[in-house]
Amino acid sequence: MKKLLFVLVAATAGLAVARELVVYTYDSFVAWGPAKVIEEKFEAMFPGVDLIWVAVGDSSEMLSRLIAELKLGLRTADVFLGLADVELPRALAHGVFQPYAPEKIPNLADVSEELLFDKTGHVLPYDHGYVTFVYDAELLPEELVPRSLDDLLRPELRGKIVVEDPRTSSPGLSFLLWTIAHYGEGWPNFWRKLLPNLLVITKGWSEAYDLFLAGEVPIVLSYSTDTAYSYIEHGSLRYRVITPDGEAFRQIEGMGIVRGTKEVELAHAFLNLVLSVEVQELMPLTQWMFPVNRRAKLPAGYEYAVIPERPVSLELNLIGEKLEEWLSLWEGLLLGG
Amino acid sequence: MSLRRGAGLALAGLPLLFLGFAFFLPLANVFLLGLREDGQWTLGYVRAVLAHPYVRHLLSFTALQAFLSTLLSFAFGFPFGWFLTRYGFPGKTVVRALTLAPFVLPPITVALGFYLFFGHTGYLNDVLRAIFGLKEPPLKILYSLWGVVLAHAFYNAPVFARFVHAAWAGLDPTWEEVGATLGVRRWRAFLSLTLPLLLPAIFSAAALVFVLCFLSFAIPLSLGGAQYATLEVGVYLYARVYLDFPRAATLGLVEFLLTLALTYFYVRGGGLFGGRQERIRPRASIPFLSRPAHLLWFPWLFLTLLVFAGPIAAVVADSLSRPLGGKAPGLGWYTLIFSPEQNPFIGTSPLGSIRTSLEVAGLAMALALFLGLATSGTLRLLRSRLLEALLMAPIAVSSVVLGLALLISLRGRPFAWLGEKGSLVLAHSLIFYPFVVRIVRPIWEGLPPSFVEAARTLGARRLRAFLTVELPLLFRPVLVAGAFVLALSLGEMTAAATLAQRDLVTVPLAIYRFLSARRFGAASAMATLLVLLTVGAVALWEWLGERTLHGHG
Repeated sequence: MKKLLFVLVAATAGLAVARELVVYTYDSFVAWGPAKVIEEKFEAMFPGVDLIWVAVGDSSEMLSRLIAELKLGLRTADVFLGLADVELPRALAHGVFQPYAPEKIPNLADVSEELLFDKTGHVLPYDHGYVTFVYDAELLPEELVPRSLDDLLRPELRGKIVVEDPRTSSPGLSFLLWTIAHYGEGWPNFWRKLLPNLLVITKGWSEAYDLFLAGEVPIVLSYSTDTAYSYIEHGSLRYRVITPDGEAFRQIEGMGIVRGTKEVELAHAFLNLVLSVEVQELMPLTQWMFPVNRRAKLPAGYEYAVIPERPVSLELNLIGEKLEEWLSLWEGLLLGG
Repeated sequence: MSLRRGAGLALAGLPLLFLGFAFFLPLANVFLLGLREDGQWTLGYVRAVLAHPYVRHLLSFTALQAFLSTLLSFAFGFPFGWFLTRYGFPGKTVVRALTLAPFVLPPITVALGFYLFFGHTGYLNDVLRAIFGLKEPPLKILYSLWGVVLAHAFYNAPVFARFVHAAWAGLDPTWEEVGATLGVRRWRAFLSLTLPLLLPAIFSAAALVFVLCFLSFAIPLSLGGAQYATLEVGVYLYARVYLDFPRAATLGLVEFLLTLALTYFYVRGGGLFGGRQERIRPRASIPFLSRPAHLLWFPWLFLTLLVFAGPIAAVVADSLSRPLGGKAPGLGWYTLIFSPEQNPFIGTSPLGSIRTSLEVAGLAMALALFLGLATSGTLRLLRSRLLEALLMAPIAVSSVVLGLALLISLRGRPFAWLGEKGSLVLAHSLIFYPFVVRIVRPIWEGLPPSFVEAARTLGARRLRAFLTVELPLLFRPVLVAGAFVLALSLGEMTAAATLAQRDLVTVPLAIYRFLSARRFGAASAMATLLVLLTVGAVALWEWLGERTLHGHG
């Protein structure tokens, strides 16, 4: 009814019938502002098309909402932006995405090959970053700064580290996967020894960072662009990134066209726009992630953003297959197993 | 007579039918996910979930912390309800409204308030260290079971305080006065006369608080540590991480049946003690500090202030002190959230989100009061304790399950025309009407039957008898119930996140957006505004109500 009325009003005003492209994403993508710039550019390219962002939760909340809506047959998003690479196997298993047509995305040519994490051709990367530890240089004596993962186990660091829960937080999961990649079968031993050094394992990144900024702990699990952030935003180098053993866990974020959309052409144009140099150059200062477009330049201050010597990742299909087993094992460790 | 009763039932049954259609049917559909596989009934999921050792651990911890949290909430809330009933003091309306402030704060803000106030390097430990010249923080409450229990008491003690206050204020003081003239000791009079009459309200509050703590999620993780996780973590893991809805629904169903069983037990327990009063005479409050003995309240008041005002004050202080661009902010974060060009794109202006929240809360309150009163009336006629427990369902389900049920119900055909805001109003009234029932029911049961019977002998019809005789007597509990729904709706997240499509940004959603953009100071400023908004709205509502009440005579 409302729609009909709208169409009538639009017709009498002499406008074309409004077309919409609905994009689901996570809240920080909207809150930081790249969404606004993308919307302006997109609507300038396609007059009469309304780009609508829906962002009411983090990435996993939005993905599970989308899957539930698809199962119920509700018409929802045309594009999903913000898929964590580790979620790919489960998203594909639920048939969330339809394949993209590479020839309709010319900017794909500038994307680094090693970042194309979906070999099945459904999901494209749009930024990437590194999960690692950050310390407070005013609270942590230099000799206690961990230089390796094993250093995190030192008894002097008892209760001085905060990490996020791998079940409820994306950096938390990255850290668990990192320890699995680093220690292989021996990872549960590492965690057993690490637990006494963790003050608390928080639900999400915000709580962990709140604790860190409040001075409750000198070491937090966060991102490798944190020093660049506090330098650019506050002119401070107090919070410093470490890459234990030269490592940090790589996260790639992806976007894809939702299966069954009627706006296939617009959806491709949208993906292409997000990969363009001008939008990609927004990523460092809004998402605090690195662009995937090789031609995008990094802003001043990003010399403090760290790309580790040895980025760590795990084979996605292995994660898809083993995740539940690993998390149950991890839960067992919490109970002293 | 039986025909009239039947007609009355049919009329009262309409809201029940509506509840069934709008909420219980979709809820059943979600639970069916866990009970059916390939078109066949199965208990396979239930068995698998219950056999999981970690799930069993979650189960016992969840029940334990909910039990302890209910006890501590009672320990803080009951004396406060007593205090509010017995004493008059300037600013009482505002203090009463302030008790609902914890309700609207998102868990993430409460966690921040607790870190800043009770943390090892928090204000409280800093002060204690300075006073006693200590090196180590003397109070290590957080990051343990006690941190979780304290935070739950912070959230839920107001339920006890307000429920007890609402019931106590409606008790006839005659017996206590007679007892006093006869020389019965005060505490004996309290134990033998007053307490039994308050028990239904206490049980009612306990049922709510236990269920709310049982379903808590973020607080146990962030204040207790991962070793202290509740069943909700399991539901979350299945639904969000493994994207396995059948198993999420199964665990949700197990949780639901447990909370419902406990609710049933409480409802029965409350019913055992329910007594009736013969008549009602308003109770006069004593001016606080009119006697030296009142000074004995001070240590307790100080403790309460510490636990409840401390974390909120810490969040307010944070909004005024968190550096902005490397400088001290002053009111900078407030200017930032109100300036359009500086304003991060939260989808709307902060003023817009405040307006949305207020509109939704106001309408949801009206609708929830109607649904709650109609349901209470029906329960009064039917006297089915099982149905009464079942009707608590909206607050007894996990937020993940609730989100799915609302998605099925309110995004589907019959309600699609409501739009985003309309469906959120409906959702909030469906989720929060049980609060109305829990506050109103015990007091309604305790009303002297003689009034209504007299009115009906005089020929007043049932509905008129209700409107002219019972409703005025229920006025105070209805007022309190309205205040609760107002506060709950202002702070609600699950339904808002499920139903929001494009324009709907409530204040709590705005807080989350600021946090996700690392604008911690702006989030604290917005949370402070939310507290002010809630206290203002609740105080205004109760003040208007009290005026009307005194107008009634």
